Amino acid sequence: MTTFVIVGAGEGGGTAAGSLRDAGYDGEVVLIGEEPMPPYERPPLSKEYLRGESDHHLVRPPGWYGENNVDARFGVRAERVDVSAREVELGDGSRVGFDQLVIATGSRNRRVPLPGLELPGVHDLRFAPDADAIRSSAKNAAKAVLVGMGFIGAEVASSLRQLGLDVTVVEFAGTPLERVLGPQLGGAIEALHRDHGVEMIFHDGAERFEGDGRFEALVTKEGRRIEGEMAVVGIGVQPVTEVAEKSDVPTDNGIPVDATLRTSVDGIWAIGDVARHDHPVFGSIRVEHFDNALKMGEHVAKNMLGANEVFDDAHWFWSDQYDTEIQMSGFATEWDQTVIRGDVDERRFAAFLLKDGRLLSTFSMNWKHDVRRSMPLIVAGVRPDPALLSDPEVDLRKLKPPSD
Amino acid sequence: MAGEWVKVGPEGEVAEGEMNSFGAGDRMVAIANVEGDLHAFDDTCTHQGCSLAEGELDGTTVECPCHGSQFDVTTGEVIGGPATESVDVFQLRVEGGEVQVLVNEQ
Repeated sequence: MTTFVIVGAGEGGGTAAGSLRDAGYDGEVVLIGEEPMPPYERPPLSKEYLRGESDHHLVRPPGWYGENNVDARFGVRAERVDVSAREVELGDGSRVGFDQLVIATGSRNRRVPLPGLELPGVHDLRFAPDADAIRSSAKNAAKAVLVGMGFIGAEVASSLRQLGLDVTVVEFAGTPLERVLGPQLGGAIEALHRDHGVEMIFHDGAERFEGDGRFEALVTKEGRRIEGEMAVVGIGVQPVTEVAEKSDVPTDNGIPVDATLRTSVDGIWAIGDVARHDHPVFGSIRVEHFDNALKMGEHVAKNMLGANEVFDDAHWFWSDQYDTEIQMSGFATEWDQTVIRGDVDERRFAAFLLKDGRLLSTFSMNWKHDVRRSMPLIVAGVRPDPALLSDPEVDLRKLKPPSD
Repeated sequence: MAGEWVKVGPEGEVAEGEMNSFGAGDRMVAIANVEGDLHAFDDTCTHQGCSLAEGELDGTTVECPCHGSQFDVTTGEVIGGPATESVDVFQLRVEGGEVQVLVNEQ
């Protein structure tokens, strides 16, 4: 009997366990997670769950683990891997032997040591209890002060506005999501939030949080003092690599894995936010989105069972803000051409990001079909005619080169 | 109780490679046209309830537009998450130019 151990019970780890059983693997599966809850989806934590519109969405029903003979150890932390003995050491002192191991430890919120960060009413958002705490604060708050306008900041701003709070955001860059989207598309996000009454202050950052026993105001680097009853900090994440660092599994901005999700240590894999993946199209990238964790979880299960397939997903995510559906596919850190299909001002458009004529990424507001349809083009490295991309009458599926 | 055949629309309303959704009794049924063959399945994604007919059809795979769950339109089985439960599929027939599906089958 072989034993497969999964360290980390988020979307990636939970999906890997599920996919192993779905594929008919009947050996031992041990799923170890620090959180006491079974694996759950994090995207709703900033959206419908935060607004009290839904309960948690579990990756598998709570009874699934027992019914499928998965040794689920929730609420216990994996400390290190003894690579030579092929054992995982847990925080409770026990050891679990493995034939193959998946590291799916995810990421944690980046924290800058600012005065007042520990005040009640100052939040960040990563785990279910964080969302509960924000919900609880929001019930007694008229105004929230947000630090950072990435996707988490933008979604929390949207949800808190929908709950009726006034929201002021302080952001270092010149637009929301400027690093990811550039100034033009970042400007479209800014317009969306401005039209929904969010006050945004750019080119400024948090200096300290003030309050007498509870948050009362944020003082910024530029000397502004912004009062509110609660604050939420969303300034990015960093990969959780301690298990690997204590284990002779190499780390370098995450855990490097090859195209098939293998680390450099035989029989050890890494997936999700923590994996720095050698992608056949995009190069070495680390992706911090739900769908990547899910797809890598499905994929690693296949490869553990011998498929040996390259992970070449085009990457995709969504972000719902107010009544606007935002989706994005591909991966681009720089591009020299942006082609618009639709109307940016009406927030019904797809934006195609190209470099040297090659399609790298597609962003959309309320125009999701073409995000999906562009994904095969991105993976195939197609250089589409910009005139065809900008024409809504052109079906992107027809631009795909004939396969093989 | 035996199932009942419910009219959902005229034949030819769903173009090849496309999908549409129709009311059939108390549920929404999606019809997919795969190379001329029509397949009927529950339009409501088992993940969070989005309309699958508004998603993408690639061969016999439908992909949910909201969160990317994938189902086989011929069997209803999950091909890819986040959904983990299959969708119902329905028998389908064409009578007098009308597409009908068999719903409420016990």
